[in-house]
Amino acid sequence: MIKRFFVLALLFAMGLLFTDLLLSYTPDTELNSTALYYANHTAKDLGAANIVTAIIVSYRGLDTLGEVTVLFLSAAILVLVLPKGWRRGKRKPRILPSTGELLGTGSHLLVPLILLLGVYLFVNGHLTPGGGFQGGAIIASAALLLLLTNPLQPFSRHLFSVVESIAGLCFVVIGLLGIVYAGGFLDNRLLPIGQLGELFSAGTMPILYSLIGLKVGAEFSSMLINLSETKDS
Amino acid sequence: MVLIVMSTGFLLILMGLYGSLTNRNILRMIVSFTVTNTGVNLVLISVGYMPGRTAPILDETVAVSEVAQRIIDPVPQALVLTAIVIGVGVTALMLAYAYRLYETKGTLDISQFTELKW
Amino acid sequence: MVSPLVLLGTPLGMAFLLGMLQNRWRFASYGITLLTMTCMSLFSADWVLGFASGSLVATDFSTAGAPPPFAISLRMSLTEASLILLVNLAGLFSTLYLKEELLRIGRRGMAVLLIDIMALCGIILTRDIFNLFVFFELVVISTGGLVLLSDDQRAPSAGFKYLIVSQLISVLLLIGIIFAYHSTGTLNIDGMAAASLGLLKGGALAFFLILIAVISELKPFPANGWALDIYESAHPAFSAIFSAAASSAALFAVAKLLPMGGESWLPVVSSIGLVSFLAANLFALCQENDRRLLGYSSIAQTGLVLVVIGQQDILGERYLFIAGGILLAHAVAKAGLYWLSGLLSNRHLTAWTVLRQSPLLLFAFISFIALLVGLPPFPGFYAKWELVHLLAQEGRLAILGLVLLGALVEAGYLFRWFGKVVKRSDGGEEAAVFSVAPIKTLVVFAAVAGGWSLGYLWGQLSLFDNILHTIPVLFALGFLLLERFPVWLKNSLAIVGLVSYYLISYPAYDPMQLIFGTVILIGGGVILLASYSVSGRRMGFYPSAMLMFAGLSLLIEAKDSFHFFVAWELLTIGSYFLILRGKQSEPHALSYLVFSLGGAFLILAGFALAAEGVELFPLSSLSQVTADKAPWVFILLAVGFMTKTASVGLHIWLPGAHAEAETDVSPMVSGILLKAGLYGLVVLLLGMGKQQLYGVELTHVMLWIGALSALLGNLMAVFQEDAKRLLAYSSIGQMGYALFGLALMNHLGWLMALMFVINHYIYKSMLFLSVGGVAKRTGTRLMYQMGGLITLMPLSFIAVLIGIIAVSGVPPLSGFGGRWIFYNAILTAEYRLPIILIFLAGPIAFLYLFRLIHTLFLGQLKDEHRQIKEAPFWLIVPQMIFVACLMAFALVPGVALRRFDLYLNQFFPQGGLNWEGVSITSQFGYWSPVSIMVVVMVIFASLLGWLIFVNRKAQKVKQFNMVFAAERPYRPETTHFAWNFFAPYKKALGFLIQPLATRFWGMVMDLLHTSADLTRRFYTGNGQTYAIHLLAFVVVVYLFSMGSL
Repeated sequence: MIKRFFVLALLFAMGLLFTDLLLSYTPDTELNSTALYYANHTAKDLGAANIVTAIIVSYRGLDTLGEVTVLFLSAAILVLVLPKGWRRGKRKPRILPSTGELLGTGSHLLVPLILLLGVYLFVNGHLTPGGGFQGGAIIASAALLLLLTNPLQPFSRHLFSVVESIAGLCFVVIGLLGIVYAGGFLDNRLLPIGQLGELFSAGTMPILYSLIGLKVGAEFSSMLINLSETKDS
Repeated sequence: MVLIVMSTGFLLILMGLYGSLTNRNILRMIVSFTVTNTGVNLVLISVGYMPGRTAPILDETVAVSEVAQRIIDPVPQALVLTAIVIGVGVTALMLAYAYRLYETKGTLDISQFTELKW
Repeated sequence: MVSPLVLLGTPLGMAFLLGMLQNRWRFASYGITLLTMTCMSLFSADWVLGFASGSLVATDFSTAGAPPPFAISLRMSLTEASLILLVNLAGLFSTLYLKEELLRIGRRGMAVLLIDIMALCGIILTRDIFNLFVFFELVVISTGGLVLLSDDQRAPSAGFKYLIVSQLISVLLLIGIIFAYHSTGTLNIDGMAAASLGLLKGGALAFFLILIAVISELKPFPANGWALDIYESAHPAFSAIFSAAASSAALFAVAKLLPMGGESWLPVVSSIGLVSFLAANLFALCQENDRRLLGYSSIAQTGLVLVVIGQQDILGERYLFIAGGILLAHAVAKAGLYWLSGLLSNRHLTAWTVLRQSPLLLFAFISFIALLVGLPPFPGFYAKWELVHLLAQEGRLAILGLVLLGALVEAGYLFRWFGKVVKRSDGGEEAAVFSVAPIKTLVVFAAVAGGWSLGYLWGQLSLFDNILHTIPVLFALGFLLLERFPVWLKNSLAIVGLVSYYLISYPAYDPMQLIFGTVILIGGGVILLASYSVSGRRMGFYPSAMLMFAGLSLLIEAKDSFHFFVAWELLTIGSYFLILRGKQSEPHALSYLVFSLGGAFLILAGFALAAEGVELFPLSSLSQVTADKAPWVFILLAVGFMTKTASVGLHIWLPGAHAEAETDVSPMVSGILLKAGLYGLVVLLLGMGKQQLYGVELTHVMLWIGALSALLGNLMAVFQEDAKRLLAYSSIGQMGYALFGLALMNHLGWLMALMFVINHYIYKSMLFLSVGGVAKRTGTRLMYQMGGLITLMPLSFIAVLIGIIAVSGVPPLSGFGGRWIFYNAILTAEYRLPIILIFLAGPIAFLYLFRLIHTLFLGQLKDEHRQIKEAPFWLIVPQMIFVACLMAFALVPGVALRRFDLYLNQFFPQGGLNWEGVSITSQFGYWSPVSIMVVVMVIFASLLGWLIFVNRKAQKVKQFNMVFAAERPYRPETTHFAWNFFAPYKKALGFLIQPLATRFWGMVMDLLHTSADLTRRFYTGNGQTYAIHLLAFVVVVYLFSMGSL
């Protein structure tokens, strides 16, 4: 009880801090210098229609590299954290109730569509809302659907890890090539920036975002699979 | 409008913190942290919002010439994407840890894991 | 030069590559990891060299072909380069160290390790605040993975606690970042600093959130329970990274962020650092687990660097030198200690006793401890010296005091640990296993080499001379290389070294230095003759002894405060190691060290206060200290020096330390080392003269202290049962006399004090040697277990006899001369009461001396002692030399004293002595040494002749020709006449020697320990509670800083 009271008191103080922040906040009416630069230069310099994508993939590409590394790390550590021997198949095969006709058929119908949507999202990331992370997450949702339908679904783990590693490596290599052949690390002008609004435009941006999409999809999927196999062990 | 979203975000943060600091069950703590993260993300995007403007994507409605007057600040949106992904990574890790801890002790009560102290 | 982006990209790419490999290609994966780490280290070393040679300037590297505020940029300068070199080396060596674990856990673990190191470099390099957040999160997650390298079952719970806390930290950081972005319109750290974020509306709060979040990564007290749990349970190689690399990176992040908030935040940072430094050191006092103790020490050191960062406004261009010195010393030492801990199987502090099996590892251990404590010649020493001076210059005395206090506590527990390692028994069945994996050992030695090279580097960078360039220090360290050779060789070398150093340097000495120099160098050589009696290799003795002599000889040559203090620290450490060698000396050596370091810190503070910003403060400028500071400087220095002379109240370390030391060490630390304190007082009094504080004459206070020390020291000596303790207590009394003489501040007082320097050296060394010889033969030091040794050990008897005649100041020996000058001196002074005390002390001295000779050599011979022989030849040799010296000095005291008397005329022109002919005259009378000698000899000879004459028909009686009473004593020793020899006096005067000082210092220690033990319990081990601590920490700092800003 004392603990709860103490926590409440602390949170009250935090609330005061937040209120302080809130009260001193005045929404901007004009874009600040950074945003203005992005607004004015993205289309002209990088040839991307989606400014957020340009920021994520190019201007703040190092963040994004860190971000995919976070997922890579999480996926790798997940395997380390989960107790040893949980996947050796030493335990009895699980006997599961049938998932039902509806789910089975539905998933067969939906999975290709979901995959397609995911791919569409990251391929067009530099033009329309969406991008690698969203597309990757959607691809992983296909894996989730398959797991729900059949928890014993055999997935090729190695495929996932090869996909995520190659995607990551390519990301780094393209980034480093940018230092040599363009303005800097992850500069998308490694390739011609093309015509604003077309699929093959904005230099390496669509390639990078597709790599991110593949990587994120593979990582999320392998995380889901690893977590699902802990069940019932 | 912005202030409402922002205060909702702060409120979610406080609620999440309360949950994570008072619930002993590790899974509940993790769920509370995701609530907190949602609150943080809400605060993040509310900062870049400007009334009457549109998403920072150049298309038929937003011409290249008038882009500076038509779009909202794109930076918080980029940041929030990163924050979300990192949040997912940490949450996944915490869940795996929860499983590992459950395996060792057969309980999810955080107050049982105090062999290391003082 | 390799672009910093390649530095980040390569390990990342390699980590991705590892993700692709087959699980079974373990060795290939390990090879890739190792190769990557090596390349990264080489690349960063290349940068460091480039900057150090001056061919490079700090450069920003932008990404994405856009200018810095709009795209993430990285900066590379000397600081960044050195830190990433540190991080990469920590990574490389830990990879080597972790070979087995990494091969077991597979490629994923290696990838995580690579990413961890990469992310730490990222934290250091990036100039973008959100990018900083990303790298911090990478470190958090990879830490979550690397904690699992440990086979400790508790490690996962520690990792989870860290994840909980890091969630809170990231919430704070993100909110802070977004509002800071809103206020300034940029995410670039330099842009935010240029827009002075701290002054904008809402900006101060945003900055507070960012700052507190990054500081929380530094594990500040009290929000650090999780970190301790990680330190305790993680694999030591990871703890090495966590302590050395991660803390350094986070510290650099704090330093990088601070310009955003402005100078008003510096005090906040300092306070957090100071609280952590003190609290962590205090809690470490009660730790028994080695890794947890190291964890506390890490937190403390990080706190200290935080203090330095917070003081950067006054440190100016020395900021990097100071912060870097402390940080790098800490990093290398802590990494080394964690690697070392991985060689041992048992986690208890005493389990480290197995290190004794390997002298090299023991050397590594003490090197690391010296690095941490900041002893010369390591970087922390230079850094602390400059830090303290700058703090004193700016009048930040509270911070100065607390930093020194914390450092003292830290030295206390670290050296207590060292003492345990060197002295404790192995612990029998639970003896720790000691693995000698060659790679791991190699990694440890890499850290040792790193530490020593840093010491050399910092010596070169310092404003003063490099300590490692001084000949005496090199001579002492050279003995480390000779450890394999037998004693006789090393001993001869040592004696030759001392004597030849004296011959080289004495022409340049003034009479004052000459007296001290002769006692130290020639006197040391004579005592070392006794060391020939030891056989074997005597590992560790010669480096320690020579270090002490190096310190002593440098001390008397020092012209400025820096060299003086260096010498002081060297002689303290050297003598500590020497004293520690005694069989039962562990607690005494520790209390000696703690008192000495405490005294040294007072001296440091005193010099810093006196220097007032002068870089090289000549000792002669002590006279020019401004009047408002002078008395305080005087007090600090005087108390510091009186700690060494063991003045009453600060004396409790002496009896144990001197009594428990080895036979040939006792005379060194008693006869020679105590003079260091006197020399300090001489320098102080010559420089500053009489000082008054609130109307109190400070030399008058010293006079009282001297008189009380003389009286109480002698009194305590009277009631000792242990012969060496008796001599030790008598030293307290003797030093009291010398202090009294100096404090008289007149010509004769000083002459007498200087005479004491010579006299005390001779007779105390002689007595310690002969009593040591007796103790060696009889196997006991308790006087009631001896007796009647006169016939078996006649030479020792002669030495003791001559010694006590000299000490007690009866004619004809030099002690009488001392007394004579002394009585002349006090007749000219007007302090009546202390004079009475000092008069009283004389007869008391006679009591204990009588007891010494009576109970050892006279009376009944014990049955078990019938077969014993005279003391070893080499113990007798120096004693006989001393006897000869005493005789000579008694006959012609003028040889030494006359020059000195003339020398004193320039300071005290009044009241000198007249040295004409064989007799010496003062205003009260004359002293003719030769005629006294003749008279006494005649009396002695005639009495002896008469005795022989009347006893010519005496009959010899068998020893046991007596009747035993029908009483069975429960403690047989109580029936011995030597037991409680002076019982009636004890009844009368016992109240005076209540161990008040012992009780007082004991209480201080208990208080520290109890409070530490009680408060550390608030680290309950519950991860949730830790999160609450963090939140409370944030709130408290928020309330404080908002109140003060």
